Amino acid sequence: MKKFLAMVLAVVMMLGLVACGDKKTDDGKITLDVIAAEYGLKTKEWWQGFEKDFEAANEGIDLVVDVVSWNDIYTVVSTRIGNNNAPDILNIDVFADYQADDLLLPAKDYVSDETYAKFYQSFLDQSVVDGEVWAIPDLASARAMYYNKDILDAAGVEVPTTWDELKAACEKIKAYDANIYPWGVDMTQDEGQACFAYYIWNNGGDFTDAQGNWTLNSEKNVEAIEFIIGMVKDGYTNSDPATETRYINQDMFGTGKVAMMIGPNSIPTYIADAGNTVNYGVASIPTNTGVSVSQGVMDRFMCFKKDGRTDEELAAVTTFFDFFYEDERYSDWVIMEGFLPATSAGGEIMAAADPSAAAWIDIVGSSKFYPTAKAEWADVKQGVIDVQQKALQGGNVKELLDNLQKEIAG
Amino acid sequence: MKKRTLRKTEPYMWIAPSIVLMAIFIVIPIFSVFRTAFSEVSKSGLIKGFNGVDNFVKVLSNPDFALVLKNTLVWTIFVVVLSTVLGFILALLLNNNFRGRKIARAIVVFPWATTLVVQASIWTFIINTDFGTLNTLLRTLGIIEQNINWTPTPEAWFAWEIACGIFVTIPFVCFTALSGLQGIDSSYYEAATVDGANYWQKLFHITIPLVKPSLTVATVLNIIYVFNSFPIIWTMTKGAPAHKTDTLVTYLYTLAFYNGKRGEAAAVSVIGFLILLACASVYMVSTLKKGDE
Repeated sequence: MKKFLAMVLAVVMMLGLVACGDKKTDDGKITLDVIAAEYGLKTKEWWQGFEKDFEAANEGIDLVVDVVSWNDIYTVVSTRIGNNNAPDILNIDVFADYQADDLLLPAKDYVSDETYAKFYQSFLDQSVVDGEVWAIPDLASARAMYYNKDILDAAGVEVPTTWDELKAACEKIKAYDANIYPWGVDMTQDEGQACFAYYIWNNGGDFTDAQGNWTLNSEKNVEAIEFIIGMVKDGYTNSDPATETRYINQDMFGTGKVAMMIGPNSIPTYIADAGNTVNYGVASIPTNTGVSVSQGVMDRFMCFKKDGRTDEELAAVTTFFDFFYEDERYSDWVIMEGFLPATSAGGEIMAAADPSAAAWIDIVGSSKFYPTAKAEWADVKQGVIDVQQKALQGGNVKELLDNLQKEIAG
Repeated sequence: MKKRTLRKTEPYMWIAPSIVLMAIFIVIPIFSVFRTAFSEVSKSGLIKGFNGVDNFVKVLSNPDFALVLKNTLVWTIFVVVLSTVLGFILALLLNNNFRGRKIARAIVVFPWATTLVVQASIWTFIINTDFGTLNTLLRTLGIIEQNINWTPTPEAWFAWEIACGIFVTIPFVCFTALSGLQGIDSSYYEAATVDGANYWQKLFHITIPLVKPSLTVATVLNIIYVFNSFPIIWTMTKGAPAHKTDTLVTYLYTLAFYNGKRGEAAAVSVIGFLILLACASVYMVSTLKKGDE
């Protein structure tokens, strides 16, 4: 009897293991599988509410939204793609790698004309490869310079608009109080590419030329990076830009330790949530060319190809986006975590609700974006972070950028 | 006849679930890593086909790899050697009879019982130049007037990471050594005392030889744990600046999930696996030899 039981136990355990992961619900409904990025503390709850509303309005569709943190989302998505189990819809920042592997459907195939017409054209342009739009924007954010009014007043400094003024302002702040870091810089793995962009764009440089060829080692880029590395070496910035992320800078700005920094429109919410108050002002990013360039960040939705997908199933994807981009619901989504809208109607609703947002909506409209549509972007992003960190260690900026250009463009 | 067959197969039935579990959680992942290491993998994660040793060539020809390998060896040697020495000394202290011994032993477990990410975050907070508790403490005591930057160079960061690694590894060594110490018969010490042996003679001729087997096991396990340790370095520096604090594990994570080079990351993983296999083999061979003697 004991032996028989042992055998049964062994067989049951093995069957149990085999059965793991096999979940099939067959109630005749179409299942829409969505992976969404977790933007903040409220994202999960927002999607739960959305799922409930969507399923109530569309009884034939079973919506499954998996909200994944930014730390894990790339791992989750690539593992699922590697296992031939890509989601129907993905909400993430990048798309070019998926497009290059022929995994995506063109946006026109699954977005209704009515919804498509809502997007700012400049945002759609960011997702074009071979003349086709492959992803649609879900939200945006823009960057500007934040400054501590009290510190600037006490140090007798005007808000800097040029690089020369910035350097002079830093010198004065340093002389006023050596314990304050005049300028907050983040060259970390997290967002070092943003730092690179702020300075090259505001020195007339760029990642690419008008034809889309990489121009990482252009003279203007070299000059720009030498400028910011010089600022660090002169002691005008936080002490360790290679390990101090933007969030650490934001914390220090909130406590009056950092006097000025470049950051997104969500900084005031961040500082308030951390329990700090600071008398701050917002201004354009200081420039060396006379024209300040802001950096825009945009995230996207994309739809993966699937073998044997029926017209009905594709229609469910269209229904999802029509529902998501309904004006009221969409502005609720954008406001939820303090971002900026990617549709004109969303922009109008938001500007009406919050007059301070109107300026930001203008900024985001004229921002420059990373060249994320190019397949080499992931390498460039890591490369420019590496260049800055090596330059901090005494590396020659020109040589480092020459090497990177050679590695990327061949 | 039937009974005999059943008796013969019964042990295998009992271990079958473990073998299945090991196959699923150990053999399949190892196979998958090797397969990825010899494949061309697209940035989105699709395996495009066999590409021979291309990934290994790319990894080995990258100048950063030599730096990362050197860091890994420095990290492993310093953490393992120093935590073994300090853990053993602590075990000797805790093996003495004193009031509050149980409480002292419980306190030693704390660093071990806390998640590494929490430990590393606390260390980062303590040594932070601007709002760290170490500077605050020294200022309050009047020892310093201005905040000190405890991490002015990448080497300083790495030293702090090693210190944190040692701190969290000591309890493991300490308790393994302690279990060995408690197994030593007190009659050896009594006999040595009668023969006029002093403390050091007893330590080097009785204690250390008898604790050696426990310490050897602890060291081999430690080499594997420390070599593969990810949370401390990732939490404190993420390998920055420019790979100066990267070890193989953090480097391959960056390659896989920040650079989208999964094939190369798998190649780094295979290299790490082979290094550890070599270390473990030395131990296995020496153990087997001893078994034969």
